[in-house]
Amino acid sequence: MTGGAEKKGQVDRLPGLETRLFDIPEDKFIEVVRLLERVRDHPDVRQTFAAIRPRLVQVRPNRRPTLKRVLCMPFEDVLESFSGVDVPLGRIERRVIDPVWKLVTECGDTALIDQLDRQVQETAPGNLNALRNIGRRLWPMAAQAIRGAVEQDGARHALWRVLHGDEDLQRQVLDVAAFLEIGLTVESLKDALVPKPLPAFEDEHVGVIEQAVQAVARQSTGLVYYLLLVAASRMANPADLLTVLNDLDFGKARCEQPVIFAQLSGLVVTNLEERSARLDGNGYSAGPGVAAAAIAPEEAIAIAERLVASVNTTSAVMDFLAEPVYRERLEAVKTAVRTMVTGTVLDTASGGILTAVAAPAGNGRPAAVDEDAQAAAEDHARALRRCEGLADALGLHEPLKTAMTSMEKGLMARAHALLAQYPKAAGDPDDAETAEINLFYALRLLELVAGPAKADQLRTAIMAATGEFAEE
Amino acid sequence: MLKGAIEYAPSTFEERGAAVAFTTPLLSQTRVRRGERSKLEVLIPSLSQGMGIYVVAWKAVPDMVSMTMHDRYLHDLIVKEDACSPHEIRRATLKAARRGLAGPQAAQAARRALEEDEEQSTLTHYLLILAILKAVGLESPEMLKAGIDTDEGQRLTRQLMTRAAESLKMDATLLYSRLADIAAVTAPVGLARSPRPGRLTRGLNDLKAFRDSMTGWANDVPSDAAPVAQFCAEVAQHTIAIGDKVLGDFHRRVEAIGPLMRDWDSEIVRVRAQAGRMAWLLDGWSHITGAWEVAQAEDHHQQAATVNDLFRILPLLPRKESSRDFVEDAKQVKLAHRRSVRMLEDWRTGQMDIDAIRRIEAVKARVP
Repeated sequence: MTGGAEKKGQVDRLPGLETRLFDIPEDKFIEVVRLLERVRDHPDVRQTFAAIRPRLVQVRPNRRPTLKRVLCMPFEDVLESFSGVDVPLGRIERRVIDPVWKLVTECGDTALIDQLDRQVQETAPGNLNALRNIGRRLWPMAAQAIRGAVEQDGARHALWRVLHGDEDLQRQVLDVAAFLEIGLTVESLKDALVPKPLPAFEDEHVGVIEQAVQAVARQSTGLVYYLLLVAASRMANPADLLTVLNDLDFGKARCEQPVIFAQLSGLVVTNLEERSARLDGNGYSAGPGVAAAAIAPEEAIAIAERLVASVNTTSAVMDFLAEPVYRERLEAVKTAVRTMVTGTVLDTASGGILTAVAAPAGNGRPAAVDEDAQAAAEDHARALRRCEGLADALGLHEPLKTAMTSMEKGLMARAHALLAQYPKAAGDPDDAETAEINLFYALRLLELVAGPAKADQLRTAIMAATGEFAEE
Repeated sequence: MLKGAIEYAPSTFEERGAAVAFTTPLLSQTRVRRGERSKLEVLIPSLSQGMGIYVVAWKAVPDMVSMTMHDRYLHDLIVKEDACSPHEIRRATLKAARRGLAGPQAAQAARRALEEDEEQSTLTHYLLILAILKAVGLESPEMLKAGIDTDEGQRLTRQLMTRAAESLKMDATLLYSRLADIAAVTAPVGLARSPRPGRLTRGLNDLKAFRDSMTGWANDVPSDAAPVAQFCAEVAQHTIAIGDKVLGDFHRRVEAIGPLMRDWDSEIVRVRAQAGRMAWLLDGWSHITGAWEVAQAEDHHQQAATVNDLFRILPLLPRKESSRDFVEDAKQVKLAHRRSVRMLEDWRTGQMDIDAIRRIEAVKARVP
């Protein structure tokens, strides 16, 4: 009974901790994470880690190193993100990690694993060089163990038990082996391609990629493709890699260059399709088969901007190489993006922007100022303005113009209605102030939607009504 | 209207002008000062890659630059109130933000700042009364117990202050009036033993944190902007060194409340000048320290862009305030890092950069 009560107490305590872990200061958060990591195998602690993942991603505390984490280093950039919003090229699903770890521990050199495990436990969090030194011995052994499990008859039963015949999983496990084989080159490439995401390639970045490609090509020409996946995943716009690829000297892999380019371009397009398939008029879905959740207009625009940038880069490269086969597929991606932007930003503009300007009450008293609604409406208005940058690419000029004109007219009408009611509030200082702030907030929305020149007419009218700067 | 680009090397704070927290990116932190025939004029840093400063008649600014609605309001308010000192400009800026024209968050921050000003003023007044009573040996536990905001507390205070005036050989009304004068001068700086430091003392502390953070960034982040960040830290350090000295001297004089009351005519002039100097020293820095704090949540690329933006509006010390010629040094930094220190360009297109405006408003939302 006592044991049960204690267990229940633990279960009750941890969920409370999860919510508090979002509020405590960053240094305390890191301290608690360190403590929890010591007992991370406990199911409740695992659940807690899952719940606090958004803050872990944001704070990125140096986690306590484990051998499993060292194993993942060469392919961590191509692991799918937790949010599912951006999908890296050649993505490895997180569900692959456990089977890979099992294969390595069952089919690999157990003495070496034990030795390296002890070394990891003595390594301080954040000591990247020490972890890479451990990886230098772990990764080739692990790659060999995985390939052995796939290729040797004797080890196939282990593979079957771990992968349950899942072919997609098996393909990804083999991809992991490829990343592990070039682990050290990948790690030095990661050092050169910073910060992640890299906004654009500079000459020195291209030089480093070229050297890394040549080094990997000397090892095995078939591994160059995987190195390039890592390079692409570190870019803000992964399709940028395509623009520099044909200028690189692939060294020993020179003959394979056209094939690798074709593979990567195909992957870029497929990736864009995969990402756009998650969009609909409501927003963005976290994964295949998951219903799209409504997203804020500004977030929708940010997603659209990233996708359109990728589509534009890819289209430019494909057009240059006269590859019409992709044109239709890229157009379909743009159509999906357009549907999402239309649904989340343009069609909802009226409810998102106009309704923040409260209609005057019948009793002549001004409506209370709602600053949360104003802040949301301003975000929506900014998203609408940012659509201008996407209009060309998505063919949104007409619907955008219609939405902007409608917002401008609607805001002007509502502001003038408030202005007409203003004299009724002017007698009472509190009412007058509330009415003036409502007017100024409407003015601000008009400024965001229609620009300062058009808003200035309303400003003049407001100042004339309030008489604030009238000559005495 | 436009006098043309001039070499900018102000001798005094007044000549440098007071920074105005405009939200139009081109005008952000431009300085207003009194020019010929006491007319207000504004100093707009180089509209191109040049080094000069444009001097523009204040009233002509809206005809030259497309301004946000917030800035049009603030501009009119500054004209109406003929504001020119850091204190007057700050009050006008808070009033404009409180109207909501820089967004709801900035409106809330402005309301909080104005409330804090009120509270700080009351607290300073109270602490000065206690200091006067202590100076003449009239400390009263009953008064402290009753509290100054109760009827009983106020009755006791009036009684004791009348006796204090007698002790200081002055009329009680005169004592009250001088007390109000010192409180008004002191509140923005704060008293040394105040439980909450004054706004300017907090500003000086923020500047110290900014200096440390900039130095750390310049050392740790491999970026073209690192030498620019180092220069920002050096300007901050020089400002801090002067600020610490002025603050120490100011606190010593106000602490000696007896001598201050006795040698009123000469002492109040000095105290007022020191408080004014603190305000001028820190003028323009609250936006910079706030913008750098906002940038802490961003990546190194964006932080480098922020460093370059801040360099453009750095409150360089006037020649009479420092032995080092910061204006000349800034020119050298600009020449050496021409690639990263770019000037604002949206004046060419007349287009408002809504992201840049938003960043400025984000700073306004946290730094009153």
